[in-house]
Order: sequence, then C-alpha cells, then structure tokens
Amino acid sequence: MGVTCVCQVPILEGKSVQQTVDMLHKKLEQLGAVKQGSFFVDCETYHATSNASGKKRQPSKLLYVMHNSETPLSCLALFEGGPYLTADVNFDVLMVKLKSHFQNAKGHKVESRGTRYRYCDFLVKVGTVTMSSSARGISVEVEYCACVVPGDCWNLMKEFMQSFLGSNVPELPSVFAAKPEGLYAPVDCMDTMVQYLELFSKVRKQQVIPGASVR
Amino acid sequence: MADVMNVGVNLEAFSQAINAIQALRSSVTRVFDSLKDGMKNKETLEGREKAFITEFQDNLQAVNRDLNELERLSTLVGRPSESHPLHNSGLLSLDPVQDKTPLYSQLLQAYKWSNKLQYHAGLASSLLNQQSLKRSANQMGASAKRRPKVQPSTLALPPQYVDDVISRVGRMFPDVSIELFRPNGTSAVLLVTLGKVLKATVVMRSLFIDRTIVRGYSENVYTEDGKLDIWSKSNYQVFQKVTDHATTALLHYQLPQMPDVVVRSFMTWLRSYVKLFQTPCQRCGKFLQEGLPPTWRDFRTLEAFHDTCRQ
Repeated sequence: MGVTCVCQVPILEGKSVQQTVDMLHKKLEQLGAVKQGSFFVDCETYHATSNASGKKRQPSKLLYVMHNSETPLSCLALFEGGPYLTADVNFDVLMVKLKSHFQNAKGHKVESRGTRYRYCDFLVKVGTVTMSSSARGISVEVEYCACVVPGDCWNLMKEFMQSFLGSNVPELPSVFAAKPEGLYAPVDCMDTMVQYLELFSKVRKQQVIPGASVR
Repeated sequence: MADVMNVGVNLEAFSQAINAIQALRSSVTRVFDSLKDGMKNKETLEGREKAFITEFQDNLQAVNRDLNELERLSTLVGRPSESHPLHNSGLLSLDPVQDKTPLYSQLLQAYKWSNKLQYHAGLASSLLNQQSLKRSANQMGASAKRRPKVQPSTLALPPQYVDDVISRVGRMFPDVSIELFRPNGTSAVLLVTLGKVLKATVVMRSLFIDRTIVRGYSENVYTEDGKLDIWSKSNYQVFQKVTDHATTALLHYQLPQMPDVVVRSFMTWLRSYVKLFQTPCQRCGKFLQEGLPPTWRDFRTLEAFHDTCRQ
C-alpha cells in the first residue's frame, strides 16, 4: 500500500471516451509500463430512511458502500464527510437486512473499470467511469508503492504523472492534507477510496455526454 | 586428540555423578518418609523418641554422605567447553565421525585464514597510510623488519563492546532507530529504521558489517516464524537498487584497525537516504529516471544522484 492519487482526466475534444483511454494506454506503453490485469472500483449510494435518523431531526447523510478489486475481501462504507468503515465483504448482506433503515438509491451506482499498468514501483489504473451504463468520464489512479508518506514523494509522483498526463496533473489530494499529522502521516486504503468517492460525486453531477455509451 | 581423551574420562565421571544424584535423591526421600511416618509404637515414650531421633540422624548422615560424594564427582566432570575459543562451534569437535564430516578442522582452518587475512590487511593498510604520497617502496625494508605487532584479531570483540558502539551510533542520529538482535550466538543483526522511508537489516560479524538488505518502510522484515529475515530482497525496485548501493558502500568504507569508525561512517551514509524520495538528482535536476528516484549517494558529499548520472 503506497501513496495514491486519483484524478479525472478530461476527454479530448472531438474524441470519445474510449479513444481517450486508448491514447492514455498508448502513452503508458511507450513509457515502458507493462499491462498487469484489470481492476474495478464501484460505489452504491444509500439514503437513510426516517427510521435511521432517530428522534432528532438531523439532516440525513448519504451512505456510500464501495468495493475495490485491489482488496477483494473487503467492503468499505463511507458516510459523507466521515466516519469511514472497512468491513468484510459480507457487509453487503447486512445492508440488505438494514433495508428499513438505509434505502439503496437505484440507478446511482457508479463504477470505474479498466486496465492496470505497472511501471517500476508505480501502479497506474486507467478506468472508464460509468453510471447506469453510460460512460461519464475517465479516472486515472497512480500509486507509488515504495513510499507511504505523501509529503515525501508528492513531487516525484507529480513528475511521473506529467510524463503521461501532460498538463492535466492534479493538485495534491485534499484527503492527505486533512489529517491531523498533515502530509507526513502514513497512508491507508481509505485515502484511496475517499478520493474515488470525490471523483464519483463530481461525475454524478456532470451532464451526460451525448452519444457516449459503453460498447 | 586430547579433547577426545578428556571426553572419555568425562563420560565415566558423568555416569558416576548421575548415580550419585540418584542416591542423594533416594536418601533425601527416606528422610522425609521417616518424618512423615512419625514415631513408631514402643512401650515407653522415651524409647519412642530415642528410636525416632536415631533413625532421623542416620538418615541425615546418609544424605550428607551422598552429597559429599556428588561434590567430589562434580569436580571431576568439569565445565564442558564453555571456555572454548570458538564458542558453541567447539562442540563440533565432539563429533565422533571425524573422517566423514571434517567440519571442525575445516572451521579451524577457515578461522585461521581469516585471522591471517585480517592481520595482513591491517599491515598493508598501515604501510599504505604511512606512504600515501610515495610511490616507491624504498623504505619498505626498514619498516618490514620491525613489523608493528597489531592486535591479531578484531573478530573476537566482546559483545558488550559491540553493543556499546551500536548504541552510541544510535544516539548520534535521532531519526534513526537501531534494534539489536543476536539470533545465533554472538553475531549481532541490526534492524535500522530510517524515518518512515526504509528499514535496513544489517548483519554484523563482531564489528564488521557482513551483509545488508534494504527494504521499504511498509515491508515485512520478519519471516513467517517471527525471526528477522536476512535473505529475501525487497519487492520494490527502488530498494533493490539501494541494497546494491549499500553493498558497494560496505566495500568502500573499510578501515581494518578501526571497525567502529566504519560502522559510524556507514550509518552516516545510510542516513542520507532519509530524503530518498524528496531530493532531485544533483546532476539532471529530475526526480525520476527510468522510474527510479536518485538512489545513489556520494560517499563523501552524500549528494543524491541517479545511478546513471553519477559518473
């Protein structure tokens, strides 16, 4: 588990999602990266029903339940703005039992699927973000596996991302700066998922790209 | 051969001593048995007490006798091979099948050779130090006659001294934590944790660094059975490269007469990796080259370079 940065890559003008993804693949392969299987990250949204919010009239938070192919036996549950929870994959069954408290927002399922590349100690995952079977955008996850402290290796990662993303290099993910120890706290897998969640909620608000449906 | 003879005598004394221990135990048991049974039934109270006391005295005397016997035998047995110069490996000489497994003689031979090598290296280095600027060997003859008597072996330093040197080095650098293990006998294995960047396993032989492996901060440095893993390499290419460079550094920092200085300089060098991911290359100014950060550190200036930029 290294330092991870997830960002959205804009679709090139006059190109489809798939064509932009292919361009990224080509750039990575030119760099010397090797294809290493595929990956997915998905996210389901749950509304808290009136039963769950209790007697006090609190504004009900949304609950997100996510899976990551990198940790296939875990299931992650995130409330908007925390707290976050890592559970066994059985957690899905529990959510079905809690139907009366948390209702699944159908049609809100977002997922990102794509190819995993390895380049030295970097792991790059280029994924197509889809929502109700229409492609909404492109996610790129870059992980530097050898280092656990974001403050140490951010400049190095930025240089690497520049080499294939050009001017689309993202800023330092806010999730790292938000920790009490700041940038020098070791990372964990939740940091990655929070970044995916931010990306997904950005994508959800986005307009549907006309004519961009998954093959 | 003398060893073998000794062992023969010892064995006999051993079996006698074991017999003596058994005798002692049974006489002690008898004492307690008689105490437990208490006084036997006799006509008069006086008679009872007298009989009891005599029996008790007899029993105690028997214990005393057996104990003396055991003490006499224990001087014959002696302490087995603890004071052997090669520590536990001296036990190899007890192997009766000398011809099939000549391990011990080979070990002695190797030890002798390594001592000799150490000695000659020490002489060579002192000669070279004296004449660092002169290329001719004119004065060699004079100094060769009165060869300085160097301490023949710095390989057999007491473990406390090694501990002391290591803990002093550890105190010099606040961001380095050094744990010392002695998994097999007297040789120390150090686990050096450098900030949140890397963990290095350093295998020592006395005060000489024998081998080092550098791994990532998040990597496991123990084997499945909980021992320090001193063999398997890191999963990450960066740390494999750093391991290579660290091995080069071991060969570079050599000073046979002052091994503690070597340890200190090596640690100073290793400590410069605390900014492994933060410093760009001093030559090309970039962080990455072929996917790796600048893994080379200059031995004198400790500046960071890529492996290919350092020439």
